[in-house]
Amino acid sequence: MIIDVYLVDDHRLFLSGVKAELATEFRIVGSAHDADTAIGEIRALHPDVVLVDVHMPDGGGIAVVEGVTQTNPGVSFLALSVSDLAEDVIAMIRAGARGYVTKTISPADLVDAVRRVHAGDAVFSPRLAGFVLDAFAGAIPADSDHDFDQLTPREKDVLRLIARGFAYKQVARKLNISVKTVESHVSSVLRKLQLSSRHELARWATKRRIV
Amino acid sequence: MLAGVAGGLADSFGVPDAYVRAAFVSLAAVWGLGALVYLALWVVTFDRVDDVEVDLVAPRRAAGLAIAFLGLILLFGVIGLWPNPALVLTISALSFGTAALADGSRVGPLTALLDSDVEKPSRARLLIGGLLLVVGLYFLGSTVGRLFEVGAVLLAIAITGLGIAVGFGPWVRRLLSDLGEERKERIRQEERAEVAAHLHDSVLQTLALIQRSEDPTRMALLARHQETELRDWLYGTAPLAGVDMVSTALKQIAAKVEEDHGVRVELVTVGDHVLDESSRALTAAATEALVNAAKHSGASPVSLFFEAEDGWLSIYVTDQGKGFDVTAIPSDRRGIAQSIRSRMEKVGGSAEISSQPGDGAEVVVRVAAS
Repeated sequence: MIIDVYLVDDHRLFLSGVKAELATEFRIVGSAHDADTAIGEIRALHPDVVLVDVHMPDGGGIAVVEGVTQTNPGVSFLALSVSDLAEDVIAMIRAGARGYVTKTISPADLVDAVRRVHAGDAVFSPRLAGFVLDAFAGAIPADSDHDFDQLTPREKDVLRLIARGFAYKQVARKLNISVKTVESHVSSVLRKLQLSSRHELARWATKRRIV
Repeated sequence: MLAGVAGGLADSFGVPDAYVRAAFVSLAAVWGLGALVYLALWVVTFDRVDDVEVDLVAPRRAAGLAIAFLGLILLFGVIGLWPNPALVLTISALSFGTAALADGSRVGPLTALLDSDVEKPSRARLLIGGLLLVVGLYFLGSTVGRLFEVGAVLLAIAITGLGIAVGFGPWVRRLLSDLGEERKERIRQEERAEVAAHLHDSVLQTLALIQRSEDPTRMALLARHQETELRDWLYGTAPLAGVDMVSTALKQIAAKVEEDHGVRVELVTVGDHVLDESSRALTAAATEALVNAAKHSGASPVSLFFEAEDGWLSIYVTDQGKGFDVTAIPSDRRGIAQSIRSRMEKVGGSAEISSQPGDGAEVVVRVAAS
């Protein structure tokens, strides 16, 4: 099955580079340099996966993700950015992106990430795993009745292994579980990140912006 | 016709301005109140004449207040607190003398005066300003002997002030704003020079090196190094002098190893801790493990993961390289393994080395947080 991919990036040079890298594996249905054009075209073309840059004029990647997920819930987003600032990462994930990779990613890893996102899985780079562990670190208030406000010990184990640079397959072997189980842990972490009502998450992001 | 207030009122009420002016004059003649009301209106209704020039407001407000003050003095005279009613007439003469100079323009001569071209001060402005000055100074001189007449002194000061404001206000204002502009421009230029100097020393040099380089690995490395450096500069995340946190130290170590050994180091930190004796030993041990992986594993990237949680500091150095048999560590690696272990044992920590041929290697160092 051919996966339809749409690209959004205001750096034309980078855009054409990524296009060339992905064209052999996927069908590139279109691309845009700004958020407004992107939202309109994605609604019309309904691609499977959208690769979206975080920082752009007129709203950026968050505007694209938020603008499309309401109307086209079937479109999956993979954030691709030169920025590895924690608040950008967390903001994109909370807006609804299924994964976040930096632009230094190798072409093979990028192809793999697109496939993963299309399959409904979450893509956690080592750095993203580190951010999530950091954001959910600290004591959980005893009266917290939100399951989403904390990570299970198993989920933490999985994230730690990803942060240490292991691929899902290696994580599965190390923990004596199946790759499917690893994927479900990662997806559940992503959901928690998107839905968590934890105050610390907001405060954490704010703190990072200042530092 | 002094400042366009009468005309403005006439416009608002839909009556011919002549009547409005007549009303003002009558009021002024009887009580001096006409002038007061007029001046108050002038001060309040800036917008009416603002189509002349926007930044005229500040000096005009000053002049307006001075004139209003003068009007207040006048009021004292009218209600009998002032022993020299002759002065009232003098003031009226002065005020309406100025009005007489009106050329029929919509904004009135006083406003026009303040608005005049600074480079070419109009004769009328200098004339009137000078006249007011002379009158003010004259009153001041003539009342020095009669210090009890406070009102007169104040009037003299007010008229002098008005004279200065009318005569030199725009010039002083322009001078001040010019100074401000110059300072801003100088700051801008200094900032630009600083950015240019930095980009020249770093980015341009690196770009030149990349153009001359034939080796793609070296090119990628230069680019990577430059990226880290520029990022730190832009976001101010690298206080190079006085490293006092584990995460900052690790960032520098990672950058150094990338540069020296041509591998990419993927650094992830969770939490942080100050650099003390045990965490220094921890980072030193991790550095050895990292350099070792960079030299021997043949893998890129090498992962460097630091975590401070539950009272423990841990660093994982992981590579996906060729690996080795831990039970039969080659002689050139034994020294390193021992040195990592002994470093950690000295501070009450631990070191764990795991690897299998063909399946990468991992060194875990750990110490209790103090």
